[in-house]
Amino acid sequence: MGKIKKKGVAGNARNFITRTQAVRKLQISLPDFRRLCIFKGIYPREPRNKKKANKGSTAPVTFYYTKDIQYLLHEPVLQKFREHKTFSKKLSKALGRGDFSDAKRLEDLHKPRVKLDHIIKERYPAFTDAVRDLDDALSTVFLFANLPSNRDIPSKTIETCARLANEFQHYVIRKHALKKSFLSIKGIYYQATIQGQDVLWLVPYKFAQSVPRDVDFRIMLTFLDFYTTLLGFVLFRLYTLEGLVYPPKFDKKMDEMGAGLRAFSLESKKVIGEIENGTNGQAVVKKDVSKQLETLGEKIKEIEEKGEEEDENAVAPVAEEGERINEGLDKFTAIPSKDGATTDVLEQPTEDLGGEGKTSNMFSEWTVFLSRETPREPLEFLLRSFGCKRIGWDAVLGEGSFTKDDRDPNITIQIVDRPPQVGLPPMPAGVEAKEEATTGRGKVLGRLYVQPQYIWDCVNAGRVLRPDSYAQGAELPPHLSPWVKANEGEYDPTAPVEDDGESEEEEEEEEEDVKMLDNGEKNGVEAGDSEDEEWGGMNTELAGEGEDDSEEEEEEEAKGGVALDESDAESEDDEVSKQLQHQRELEAEAKGVAYKDEKKSKKSEAKKKQDKEKKQREDEIERQKMMMTKKKRKLYERMEYGNKKKQDEKERLEGKRRKIEREKKKGKN
Amino acid sequence: MTAKATTRKRSRAEVESEKPVLSSEDEFEIPEINGDEDSSDDSDFTAGDEDSDEEEEFSSGAEDEEDEEEIDSDEIPSEDEVSSKKDRPTNGDVPDEEEEEEEEKIEPADNVKVVTGADGNPRYIYPEIEPVYDSDDTDAEETNTIGNIPLEYYENYPHVGYDINGKRIMRPAAGKALDTLLDSIELPKGWTGLVDKNSGAALNLTEEELEIVKKLQRSEITDEGFDPYPDMVEWFSSKVEQMPLSSAPEPKRRFVPSKHEQKRIMKIVKGIREGRILPHKPQAEASQEPEFYDIWADDAPPKPDHVMNIPAPKLPPPTHDESYNPPPEYLPNEKEKKEWEEQDPEDREKNYLPRTHKALRLVPGFNGFIGERFERCLDLYLAPRVRRNKLNIDPASLLPKLPSPDDLKPFPTTCATVYRGHEGRVRSVAADPTGVWVATGGDDGTVRVWEILTGRQVWKLKVSSDEAVDSVTWRPTTEGRILAAACGNEILLVVPPIFDSEEENQGKEILSAGYGYAANRQGKKEAPGTWSKPDPVLEEEGVVVTITVRKTVKYIAWHRRGDYLVTVSPEDVRRAVCIHRVSTHLSQTPFKEKSLTKGIPQRVQFHPSKPLLFVATKRYIKIYDLAKAELSKTLKPGARWISSIDIHPQGDNLIVGSYDKRLLWHDLDLSTKPYRTLRYHDKGIRAVSFHRGGFPLFCSSSDDGTVQVFHGRIYSDLMENALIVPLKVLKGHKITSHLGVLDVDWHPKQPWLFSAGADGTARLWN
Repeated sequence: MGKIKKKGVAGNARNFITRTQAVRKLQISLPDFRRLCIFKGIYPREPRNKKKANKGSTAPVTFYYTKDIQYLLHEPVLQKFREHKTFSKKLSKALGRGDFSDAKRLEDLHKPRVKLDHIIKERYPAFTDAVRDLDDALSTVFLFANLPSNRDIPSKTIETCARLANEFQHYVIRKHALKKSFLSIKGIYYQATIQGQDVLWLVPYKFAQSVPRDVDFRIMLTFLDFYTTLLGFVLFRLYTLEGLVYPPKFDKKMDEMGAGLRAFSLESKKVIGEIENGTNGQAVVKKDVSKQLETLGEKIKEIEEKGEEEDENAVAPVAEEGERINEGLDKFTAIPSKDGATTDVLEQPTEDLGGEGKTSNMFSEWTVFLSRETPREPLEFLLRSFGCKRIGWDAVLGEGSFTKDDRDPNITIQIVDRPPQVGLPPMPAGVEAKEEATTGRGKVLGRLYVQPQYIWDCVNAGRVLRPDSYAQGAELPPHLSPWVKANEGEYDPTAPVEDDGESEEEEEEEEEDVKMLDNGEKNGVEAGDSEDEEWGGMNTELAGEGEDDSEEEEEEEAKGGVALDESDAESEDDEVSKQLQHQRELEAEAKGVAYKDEKKSKKSEAKKKQDKEKKQREDEIERQKMMMTKKKRKLYERMEYGNKKKQDEKERLEGKRRKIEREKKKGKN
Repeated sequence: MTAKATTRKRSRAEVESEKPVLSSEDEFEIPEINGDEDSSDDSDFTAGDEDSDEEEEFSSGAEDEEDEEEIDSDEIPSEDEVSSKKDRPTNGDVPDEEEEEEEEKIEPADNVKVVTGADGNPRYIYPEIEPVYDSDDTDAEETNTIGNIPLEYYENYPHVGYDINGKRIMRPAAGKALDTLLDSIELPKGWTGLVDKNSGAALNLTEEELEIVKKLQRSEITDEGFDPYPDMVEWFSSKVEQMPLSSAPEPKRRFVPSKHEQKRIMKIVKGIREGRILPHKPQAEASQEPEFYDIWADDAPPKPDHVMNIPAPKLPPPTHDESYNPPPEYLPNEKEKKEWEEQDPEDREKNYLPRTHKALRLVPGFNGFIGERFERCLDLYLAPRVRRNKLNIDPASLLPKLPSPDDLKPFPTTCATVYRGHEGRVRSVAADPTGVWVATGGDDGTVRVWEILTGRQVWKLKVSSDEAVDSVTWRPTTEGRILAAACGNEILLVVPPIFDSEEENQGKEILSAGYGYAANRQGKKEAPGTWSKPDPVLEEEGVVVTITVRKTVKYIAWHRRGDYLVTVSPEDVRRAVCIHRVSTHLSQTPFKEKSLTKGIPQRVQFHPSKPLLFVATKRYIKIYDLAKAELSKTLKPGARWISSIDIHPQGDNLIVGSYDKRLLWHDLDLSTKPYRTLRYHDKGIRAVSFHRGGFPLFCSSSDDGTVQVFHGRIYSDLMENALIVPLKVLKGHKITSHLGVLDVDWHPKQPWLFSAGADGTARLWN
């Protein structure tokens, strides 16, 4: 016999520590502990055996991994928290004394500031790790960028968020990294591929956000602290890799005039730095040295020229530079495509350049004008990410547009989001032109008027779609999420639904059910009453169907012995509905066989056959389940439950769609 | 003598000089006393001194000689001397003595004045002695000079000795007799009972002296307040004083402003004046903001994640129904909308209701945006993360592969024959080993034999009018058709008269062979069962032997060879199980009293091949080795109340039916716990049975009126567990007063099943 193990010295008992214990061990307050956990990304765990982890108690407690807490003991931030505690004491003392100048001095000079650099490096040892975790950071930053400052949120934070958001958008535009976007009722989702990682974020619509009362902004701001730092470092790295100076130049005046993205101007670094960092690291390594040398001279010249231009014009060089890089990278297409099959790393650049090279410059030929009712920021971001260089908008929408004149002949596409004007009284000729010029109501020939969804659908489709169905005032096709790939057994709204009669019947029944329910509610009858009553109620309306059923029953009866042998459920059912059945039989007899039309009987036969098979299958499964162990049975049942839920959902949607389609047909007829 | 003289002089001087020192106890009187003593006692003492010049004690040189002289003079004191000495104090003849002295002196000192005395003799007048220190020895205590002789010698004299000057030391006045008496009664303080040699008085000790004596006795140091073991003062210890007391005076620099500081301050002031230093310079904006740099410059390769690290799951991407313009089928109808609104916000599957908008400009802001992000934040730091393995398998793969019932055919499916005739419940059913007849026993006290295929009753025996036939079984051998039936406390061994006479005789022979044995044994010991001939009425009907036991027999089981049969009478606590031997007509109880302590036996079975006896009590099944006569195994099926057991014909498996609805399959090689527990009956199980004719079938009958048939295949490979497949539920028996099917038995050769129901019928299923 081995040595008897002592309780509580190994395993769960040692690996987990309750929150109270952790706080006591670290000797900090609970809010500080919370902050620390947020910064360090420490989260509670669920021990396998709670009882063992909690010294035999089963009280509900939060557990942390002991090692996590142990690492926290040496955290420099922890020391900063302690410093802050002493500082706050000093400050409150000074304020209590009314020594405001001293307090100000303390605040300015001696307030301990927490630096999170080391934590970021620690949490994300590799750059891709950081990029992978950008989802939440971006969503939060974009949310705060759109919030008004108040007592809880200092205006500086919001400025920082707005700046970071814009900088990030600039990077995405430059790299053509945006892949998909989706207009949801919550906001606009974007997905970009950065360093081979898919980053998905959500930007709210530009409306005042309602702040729920139970939101603790301290927690949100703690997260935001971390996220802004993270985003800053990530952007620095991304910009540096791209050969740009970080932070980009920020024109405050432009920003105040609502220039948005245009308030920033990207600067490229010195020539050599540009070449070294200009492209992806891997691509450079693979690059043929001789080729590099060949093109080097040209590049230097180009860049120098561009650099000069940049100072003059902030807008143009960015787009041009993007083009140039695409040209430079085009040469490599063959090499990665050869190796691409073997390694994951190399696939990314091919994706960027090869098949989707066109996609990323989908809109490059366009000159777009945004009407004043359209959301400028998302449209500008989207259009620019896909290569559109000339975007104009109404002066209401802010500064920095390509043109403010909506009659500009260069404009090829105008995005409008209002119904077309109909029945306008004719205006005098002189006034008309003026009127149109000012309000932009009239249509200008030679340009396309589309609704904003057109841009999103083009982006998601990866090609320029036919604009017919997106014309001004037209009823838009449904806007679908680009991330949903219908698996087998799931509902696919794009696929046509087979419209078989059987399902139609079901559909009708369902419909009737709904009607019944409504009626029932109106009449004060309990909605979920027994089947019998429903049937009774339907007798007059649904004679045909009632007949159908009775036939089925008859046939089942005819089979006799088999029916007897079948499982409990059926026999019980039989017993329960015996009277009803009898009644139906009588009815059927009274109506006679003449009512039977062939088609229906065939159908019913097939249905019955199906039913029987189904029943047999169920019986078989039941028999098999009898022989499973309890654990396996439970697992099986859970899986079945999940599958059934999916199936139900699918059926529900399909049913609804059929109904809608039928209604449409009816409407047309 | 000159030397002596000088010494004497010196000593006198010493004495005189000592005097003031000694008397310094009362300081104020020093001069007076000195003066007085000097003036008054001088002459006396000088005379005395001169007399006792020979008695110099502290002279070291000629001490011995002097002592001798002293002794001489003391030892033989002449009468004259004594008398003269007696006179002296009274007369005060100092001049005489002086004269004597003078005569002795040969050379007077220089400073001695010589005058002619009244007698004309020269008289030396010595100069006055300066009373300096060590000039006199008058402080020397008055000592008795008698030396080491006992004081008794002076008993008769008024004196007790002589002082240093040769004067008599007078005996102190003795108290009156009464005083002494009183003294002797009440001891005065410090009484020692000794007499002071010097003064002749009683030597009393003062308190201090007594204390000293006591201390000496205890061998202590006599000094008062002397502590021989004082606490040690650690002058030099390991402790370093934080602020050692120093008596150094405060340095001046502590009171004057520092020059160095002054210098530095002046430097700063100068800087400020020149504008080089800005006081309270606002912190540079840049330093407040985090400075960004290339934190991933080293480009470390991504490390593999730690096992315990669970990255936060990403939010799922939006689905179609979240679109601002979803396909119409995603829009909720009234019912769904209402349902969603009525739900608690926490219970909602999605926090939005799909809506459609004709144009993008009509899309309102989403109310719950901040709330949603906040929830996400909370999830990130508050929600415990657990790694869950998502099983991406087809649920159908979990289902065990069961052979289809078609492959397992044949098994009984339908009721083929109903044997009607019994009034009341049919308690027991048993098929004949040849497979032609089936015997039943019922509550009406009859045993009936039926033809299996036709359902015709061929024979009927009314055993009792008031007691039920609880059990009927055929002897398992083919020769000699013997039917055992239990009715009340009697066991009837019957040869039904339905066979041909040869078989009948054979059976009767077997049964009556043991009559002699029984007679021999009689009277020896009270046997558990009495073998007797039945009533003539019964005998005519075919009953050959009746065995009478004490209590009602509930169950009979035959040994495979047909010589033994075992009966259970659960009411008889002492002799619940009895084994009866047909060939010798003997009954015995295999278990001594109390050997079956736990529970009352319910069923007993012999092992089909080995000498084992299975005894099922309420909770346990005990397997006894009959050859070794010991308990070999105890099975614990875990049922509350076992109703019946049956052993697989191969002997390694056992099925147990219990009243708590469970059917348990035991693999004897595997464990004492059941291998499978099957619960498919709605009511308690009454009987279980294995097919013994080669079909892998077993069945259970229950009070829910059904018989369930299972396929139970045992593989010869020990590693493979038995395969149990439920096959069929046979329904047909009616439930009467909560009882359904009471007994089942298989046809010995065919996959047919007999069942005995409480509705008074027995049925054949095939």
